[in-house]
Amino acid sequence: MKVAYKHLISFIPSKPSIDEISDRFFQLGHEHEIEDKIFNMELTPNRGDCLSVYGLVRDLAPFYKIDLTSNIYEKELKKLDLGFVNHAPEACSHISFLKIEIEGEIASYSGKLKEYFKDLSINKNNFFTDISNYISYEMGQPTHCYDAEKLQDKKFSLVTRKLDQKFLTLLDKEVNLSGEHLVFVNSNNNVINLAGVMGGKDTSCSSNTKSVIIECAYFKPEYILGTSIKYDIKSDASHKFERGVDPLCHDRVLRRFIQIVQDHVSIKNLEIFEHNSSEHNQISLPLDVNRINKLLGISITEEFYKKSLIGLGFIINNNVIEIPSYRGDISTENDLAEEVARVIGYNNIPSSPIKILKNSKKSDENIVVKKLKSFLIEHGFCEVINNPFVAYKENDSISIDNPLDSSKRYLRTKLKDSLIENLLYNERRQNDSIKLFEISDVYYSSKINKKKMLGIICSGRVGKNYLNFSKKIDSDFLISIVKKLNINMDFNTQIINRGELDTKIKNEIIYLELQIERNSLLSSDLKYTVKEVNDYKFIKYKPISEFPSSTRDLSFSVRNKNKYDELQNLLLNFQHELIKETFIFDFFINPKNNDIKIGFRFIFQSKTSTIIDEDINEVMNKIIKSALLIDFVDLPGINSLK
Amino acid sequence: MSSFNDIEPPKLSPQSGTMHPINQVKDFLIDLLQGYGFTAVDGPEIESEEFNFDMLNIKKTHPARQMHDTFYVNNKTKVLRTHTSPVQIRSMLDSKPPLAITSSGKVFRKDDDATHLPMFHQVEGIYIDEQVTFSQLKDLIHKIIYAIFGQEIQIRFRPSYFPFTEPSAEVDILSENCKWLEVLGCGIVNPVVLENCNIDSNIYSGLAFGLGVERIAMLKYGVNDIRDFYKSNLDFLNQFK
Repeated sequence: MKVAYKHLISFIPSKPSIDEISDRFFQLGHEHEIEDKIFNMELTPNRGDCLSVYGLVRDLAPFYKIDLTSNIYEKELKKLDLGFVNHAPEACSHISFLKIEIEGEIASYSGKLKEYFKDLSINKNNFFTDISNYISYEMGQPTHCYDAEKLQDKKFSLVTRKLDQKFLTLLDKEVNLSGEHLVFVNSNNNVINLAGVMGGKDTSCSSNTKSVIIECAYFKPEYILGTSIKYDIKSDASHKFERGVDPLCHDRVLRRFIQIVQDHVSIKNLEIFEHNSSEHNQISLPLDVNRINKLLGISITEEFYKKSLIGLGFIINNNVIEIPSYRGDISTENDLAEEVARVIGYNNIPSSPIKILKNSKKSDENIVVKKLKSFLIEHGFCEVINNPFVAYKENDSISIDNPLDSSKRYLRTKLKDSLIENLLYNERRQNDSIKLFEISDVYYSSKINKKKMLGIICSGRVGKNYLNFSKKIDSDFLISIVKKLNINMDFNTQIINRGELDTKIKNEIIYLELQIERNSLLSSDLKYTVKEVNDYKFIKYKPISEFPSSTRDLSFSVRNKNKYDELQNLLLNFQHELIKETFIFDFFINPKNNDIKIGFRFIFQSKTSTIIDEDINEVMNKIIKSALLIDFVDLPGINSLK
Repeated sequence: MSSFNDIEPPKLSPQSGTMHPINQVKDFLIDLLQGYGFTAVDGPEIESEEFNFDMLNIKKTHPARQMHDTFYVNNKTKVLRTHTSPVQIRSMLDSKPPLAITSSGKVFRKDDDATHLPMFHQVEGIYIDEQVTFSQLKDLIHKIIYAIFGQEIQIRFRPSYFPFTEPSAEVDILSENCKWLEVLGCGIVNPVVLENCNIDSNIYSGLAFGLGVERIAMLKYGVNDIRDFYKSNLDFLNQFK
């Protein structure tokens, strides 16, 4: 909701600065941003009463003297003879209709109506709709204007009805109404207004309207909630009704409406129809400052407590606090404690030491999981987390009633497919040694049963070092690792068939999925180091590149063992922004020739573009030159550089 | 020329993997809270509406209960939990105060864009005892935030709204570029919630708080895009060793 600073301070005689108002709003819990002296408010859903200039100024009252008096029409109003029947009193306890007939030309907008459109750069519509929009902005109460000439025989009713029909909104959007809704229907049972959301085109006002019927109603939020989203109708009215409006403001709102009309055009006739199906349920709470002090851990006086509440519009009589009709969010003493805390300022409430009796114990299941993770990480596996939504249905799948899209209609019953996707994702990024695991609960539709599963997937090189570079991951590799877990159950690895996957890589994909049972792993000798809070280290993340990488290998011959360390130190620590990774992929000693063969692999990747050979060659030449400066180091085939 | 028989082969750099950064942050937060006396408790990710909403004073009119915010499953008989608070409800029903519980894990909201994911992680805590006050809540929250972000961090409390706490607050920290960033929600447990769990609200009161693990992880690691955590990219994951 956008509110102009200028409009707020028009009700605050001391004219506080925009920064001061901003600070007060944050203190009160009203998040906002400011642009060109316009507050863009993000109010919490319980504060529907603040969705107006009046509402926000009212909340500022504990800090400033405010003056919310506006010109309103004060003369007595004739009764309107209207054939309206409220068939949904449970949804709408209070409703009024005001009929205004005007004559003559409408003057250019003046006063606050003019400022509203100018200051907030809002497009005008027609006279009555414009006033309706302004009233909603100023006072928070949505109203709806029917062109009285278009209402057949003035007979209509409010009903809750199951619908299956088309409806054209006053903004020319056609929607197919379906399901049960609160609607106004005419004597032919056609919907003329989607109650609390938007009126219909057929009865809407235009610039020619001379006779208008203004509806001012209190709709219970639950009867409005979700309708505007269901039909994708942007509606200020539904936003307010969903959050609750003041059931007792109708007389004042309609009189303000009349006054603004009268400020611009001559009024020929005025009549009002009022229907209240039940009394407003006045909520009262006891005045008990001790209870408030106990909740907040402070010691305010009763005088301060009363002053704070009275400032916010509460009425206190005989130690009873009467809650204003516009504060639908207040019903308990905890609510009152929050009101006082907001006035004091949460940041001004002192902290007092808390001591919680230490009774923490770690669950067996968590210990099993921690042990497993620690073991797998030690053996080179990286943990992944996948979301559980999948496109396919298994026998025992749980279906999502309202999925995000058709590819996320079911909950997975196994981890395999997610992990295969993870593996292929990394293969596409030229990763040739992939070892992943995931631990997650999976759920089954039979009695919504769950299992905690461990999935392990691996493929490619066993490792990125001279011992494992040439070894390929196979079933034996994974079995030998998992056997170390000493699990009290049989397990089988699977070789994933690449034929069904979108990949040209040939390496075997080995997969294993196990159910983690509380006792299955506790018997093993697995250990894990209990971390203290201070043991956690949080690195600063460096953004990764999405561009392809390129590799270069260099195989050196070293004829002096003392120079071999020097070469390693030089190349493994050679820094360049294009070098992503360096490791020794080959190492061989030939004692007969007194020769060490050592191979280095350099992986290049740019963070900003696809890397080109020229850039790699430039770095490689620097590496080679530096390496060959070391005595007894040769690069067979490129000795000419030395 | 010296002998080649005693040459040490190149040292093998550790080829260890890594725990997922979100789980590292989650474990850190749980360990931190356990250090303060909270007991870690787990619960199901598929919940009844009763435990996910009703018991927590989230009325049928609350926007969160609409189909556009919550995933419903098995013909609307259950929901994917939208927070880990139902775990706390179960604990309150099972044990008598005083109790201090922390629940953590995956939660689900029907949201999927650059800044929201349909699945994310929460760590929440609840402490119920006689005379638990808002000023004690502030003390605990200060301790938690200082432990996460350091003693020098500036903290701001703002009034907010959660149906299960009253008063409710959101807590911001001042970032390096002088912007307030929301990191935590908290409040005094709404007496309605205590009564729903058969706890006499005239005797007991409580405090509750919840942290979004991804939010904390993004701030701690300096990751700008929440989606990076779930691409399972080894280049990304390997940074968090």
